[in-house]
Amino acid sequence: MDVIERSESDRLRQENWIQRTVRRPEIGAFMVMAVIIVALYFASDGRAFNALGVKNNVAIIAQFGIIATGAALLMIAGEFDLSIGSMIGFAGMSMAMMLKWGLPFGLGEATPFAAFAVTLAMTLTLGWIIGNIVVRSGLSSFIVTLGFLFFLRGTTEVSFRLINKSTQISGLPDYKETSWFADLMGGEVFGWFYDAWFWLGGNLNRKGEQWVTGFDARFLWWILIAGVAWLILSRTQLGNWIFATGDDKEAARANGVPVNKVKIGLFMFTAFCATIFAACQVFDTNTSDAAKGNLKELEAIAIAVVGGTLMTGGFGSVLGVIFGAVTVGLVANAVFFIPWIDGSWFRVFVGTVLLAAVFANERIRKRITGGI
Amino acid sequence: MAGQPYMRVENLVKRFGPFTALAGVSLEIFPGEVHALLGDNGAGKSTLIKILAGVHRASEGQIYVEGRPVTFRSPRDATAAGIGTVYQDLALNQLMSVTRNFFMGREIKNRLGVLKMDEMDRIAHDEMLKIGIDFSDPTQAVGTMSGGQRQTLAIARAIYFGAKVLILDEPTSALGQKQQMGVLKTIKKVRKRGDIAIIFITHNEIHSRLVADRYTFLALGKVIGAGTRDSLEHGEIRRLMAGGAEMADLEQELESV
Repeated sequence: MDVIERSESDRLRQENWIQRTVRRPEIGAFMVMAVIIVALYFASDGRAFNALGVKNNVAIIAQFGIIATGAALLMIAGEFDLSIGSMIGFAGMSMAMMLKWGLPFGLGEATPFAAFAVTLAMTLTLGWIIGNIVVRSGLSSFIVTLGFLFFLRGTTEVSFRLINKSTQISGLPDYKETSWFADLMGGEVFGWFYDAWFWLGGNLNRKGEQWVTGFDARFLWWILIAGVAWLILSRTQLGNWIFATGDDKEAARANGVPVNKVKIGLFMFTAFCATIFAACQVFDTNTSDAAKGNLKELEAIAIAVVGGTLMTGGFGSVLGVIFGAVTVGLVANAVFFIPWIDGSWFRVFVGTVLLAAVFANERIRKRITGGI
Repeated sequence: MAGQPYMRVENLVKRFGPFTALAGVSLEIFPGEVHALLGDNGAGKSTLIKILAGVHRASEGQIYVEGRPVTFRSPRDATAAGIGTVYQDLALNQLMSVTRNFFMGREIKNRLGVLKMDEMDRIAHDEMLKIGIDFSDPTQAVGTMSGGQRQTLAIARAIYFGAKVLILDEPTSALGQKQQMGVLKTIKKVRKRGDIAIIFITHNEIHSRLVADRYTFLALGKVIGAGTRDSLEHGEIRRLMAGGAEMADLEQELESV
């Protein structure tokens, strides 16, 4: 056996764990998140992180996190979904309408679970249709899903007016008390966290009783969705296929990766995330409105990018998206904790961070591809 | 004759409508040998390898693998028969790690469907070591590798997944001088294993002389010359490379411009 030469690839510096951590793609999102947490803590006199503050912040972070996870996975596979926001409106309308007016085709009254199941079947079908149109036509997913953004929002409003005579439904009974499923979607979770907080002497209201009893259920759903997405992306064959599809789909295809199936599946996944988002909202508030989910698709994409997902596909991480969701969620909510601030600064902030993130991501991409 | 050919191609004809791309090509591919396939642009090299790789189907003629007649309906069939093709674009993804590229589409997973990353890292490292590159870190992105190293990765991958015939489509073009030598070294190492036949497609006469045992020259869809390394004169190779035209004729033509 002849001596193996050290090759050019080994000219890469050997790094210790600190250097490796600093070079991780999520580090930018993490730093921004840390700065926001500290700044918000002081600007709100700690109110943003008292018992109720944490609950309210986590509620909006989880909302963002659920749809951003779907958007990020799809972006890693090289496609966009602009229909997420309209899908939320459509799913919310569908569930609330069935709860109020009964199942379609005269199938009788709808239980919360039946309303959800029928709605999910519809949204998954829509995701499948969108995916098929994109992969079969070869058109940009930007345009195809922009079409569905309008189509679904319009369908939602028309359906509301035709059946309900009004574009909102309110005053539904509180299904959480009668249905395990509604409670799972709109109830409270992790009560032990607030019990422990109370037990340790915090979490008190003005009368000295326990103040907050639990997080919104969507927190659990976010943890589940992000956890499964992380596992799939980093530890499974499907994850490798998602990366391969978004990086160079011809190379992926040549190696036997079912590129089209991966994409269609991910369009269905974003539809699933939108449906969970809508279900948590409907069963939490017992209302629905044709305008729900407006602009959420753009916020989901912004969070994915802030979290380090490349616009061009092939690269991204669920952990980064979690940091991005926390950052954007906290800033979106900041107006409630800092009374003197104008709520529109939220958009100024998101715009600025988004631009900074795009530049940072581009640098990461160049570093990985050796500057090409 | 060095034993039995692993693959034999008889009288392959490929017509695209009225156009005849291949007009009866025959080849014999022996394990442990490098078979250089030379010819000018439009000679039919690409058509030939696409038929061998299962991308196109021949209009006439027959392919035999280990003496048995075979028909490739798809690239999958060809791969299953042990024909591994490394195209010029290599089918690699730059942003993904060496390991993830190595196993792209054929990942190793446990019963729960979770990837065995450590095992895959080790196999990718060992397989590339066998043909000459020691990668200390198979988790690095392919984008950080040189062109020659990417070739090696693609070749190692094809061999690991069962290629007995390795088709290399112009592996040395679009590379720097030093990296071209690296690829030729890799070809030699694969040849040394003795069980793999290599079809080396090239424009470069010098490169073919450095590694090839056997030559086939194509021009206008026909074999215009073939033979072993020893049976061909240097001048003969050069003449055949130019598509059979006498170099003197070419020189004359150039003079007259």
